[in-house]
Amino acid sequence: MSWQEYVDDHLMVDVEGNRLTSAAIIGHDGSLWAGSETFPQYLPQEIAAIMEDFDEPGKLAPTGLFLGGNKFMVIQGEPGVVIRGKKGAGGVCVKKTNMALIIGIYDEPMTPGQCNVVVERLGDYLNDQGY
Amino acid sequence: MEAVVVDYGSKLLKAGIASPDQDPPYIIPTKMKRVLEEGEEAGGDGTGNDEEVMVDTVVRGFVSDWDAMEDLLHHVLYTNIGWEIGDEGQILFTEPLFTPKYLREQLVQLMFETFNVSGFYASEQAVLSLYAVGRISGCTIDIGHGKIDVAPVCEGAVHHMASKRFETGGVDLTNLLAQELQKSNPSVNIDISDVEKIKELYAKCASDQIEFEKMQNSYLPEQHTLPDGQVITIGKERYIVGEALFQPQILGLEEYGIVEQLVSSVSNVASEYHRQLLENTMLCGGTAAMTGFEKRFQSEANVSASAIRPALVKPPEYMPENLARNSAWMGGAILAKVVFPQNQHVTKGEYDETGPAIVHKKCF
Repeated sequence: MSWQEYVDDHLMVDVEGNRLTSAAIIGHDGSLWAGSETFPQYLPQEIAAIMEDFDEPGKLAPTGLFLGGNKFMVIQGEPGVVIRGKKGAGGVCVKKTNMALIIGIYDEPMTPGQCNVVVERLGDYLNDQGY
Repeated sequence: MEAVVVDYGSKLLKAGIASPDQDPPYIIPTKMKRVLEEGEEAGGDGTGNDEEVMVDTVVRGFVSDWDAMEDLLHHVLYTNIGWEIGDEGQILFTEPLFTPKYLREQLVQLMFETFNVSGFYASEQAVLSLYAVGRISGCTIDIGHGKIDVAPVCEGAVHHMASKRFETGGVDLTNLLAQELQKSNPSVNIDISDVEKIKELYAKCASDQIEFEKMQNSYLPEQHTLPDGQVITIGKERYIVGEALFQPQILGLEEYGIVEQLVSSVSNVASEYHRQLLENTMLCGGTAAMTGFEKRFQSEANVSASAIRPALVKPPEYMPENLARNSAWMGGAILAKVVFPQNQHVTKGEYDETGPAIVHKKCF
């Protein structure tokens, strides 16, 4: 399966009538493995900041999580594994796997819980596969 | 079927069918007595039997005895609220800050496997207390029986990095009061549960530190008759209970007072939120309902070192009088009306598929 197929068929899926706004699979070094059409143009330093937060949980909380200039307020995640952010009624979920970051951005009416389930499910699967 | 909201605390369990704008229908103590003969347990006041052990089901906000908790919930859900076996509904639990993951998983497991609920949701007390006053952002100071939580909340999400939890609460204030009363009434033996009642009747907060000092030297003693007939005098001890929250050295803790804790907690949040957080501060929890506490808090806040003055939130008029005590339950009732119809909760099917870890993904 190509990475693009992972994004299209496993991340941008229909969950109880809702869909993620955009999603992507990005390597730890910031390289884009695959992304949906509307995924924001992110900067390398934003990915670096996310990686730092996984190593040292709490680094992003005071300043916020940035993705392509969009600012998300960091909320409860799972230290070292998942970072969750909120932006108004939507937000983002970032799951770290062995070699990649799975990022899902959602907006109303999708709920944070639905986004988490989609992103983390793929992340767990990729972890099992070694990615 | 209406959802049920349960707010278990170190002293009292508040439960009932979710009905916003009203007090929780059932408020039951969480201390239980276990009769050792046949391993039976009774809730609240059981009749005195030969061998009894007092069991603290909830300690410092977290469940410590799961068997007792199961029996207590069984009693509340089936006897008080009137659920029927085979037709259980949906349930929403409140939880304190920093609940360990395994405790959440254990609770969700208990509810789905033993009680067979059809839906489950859990939310932090800080967020719920703000919902009860009609806000989604603000800072909650929850002074309960077993713990004090200071939590800045932005748009319904707690800032865990900035929040603080203290392992001090009403129970420590009761012990302090017991010590002080013993000193001034050396010949009288006072039971700790009587001290608890005395604390609720007499404890006051001096209006500021200077007045507290004055009270130490000249005060109006009052006579109080204990249930067993002994008479004790209470004077300056009543003020020490309230003072301890503003001067923790009294309790032997090397911490700042409660107002400084609030300010330092908020300073850990991005600065654009400071104004919104400090101007929407909410005091809740049983101990915060002490006479004079709110006034003292406000006056200490006015002289605090922060540029923005913390201001206390005014509850809406349609809410019952003692909102502060039960705000977490009421907020839970409000949230239950939103979460369950929109299917944001954990359903039995999802639990069966993913297991207890689903609670971390769906409930926050």
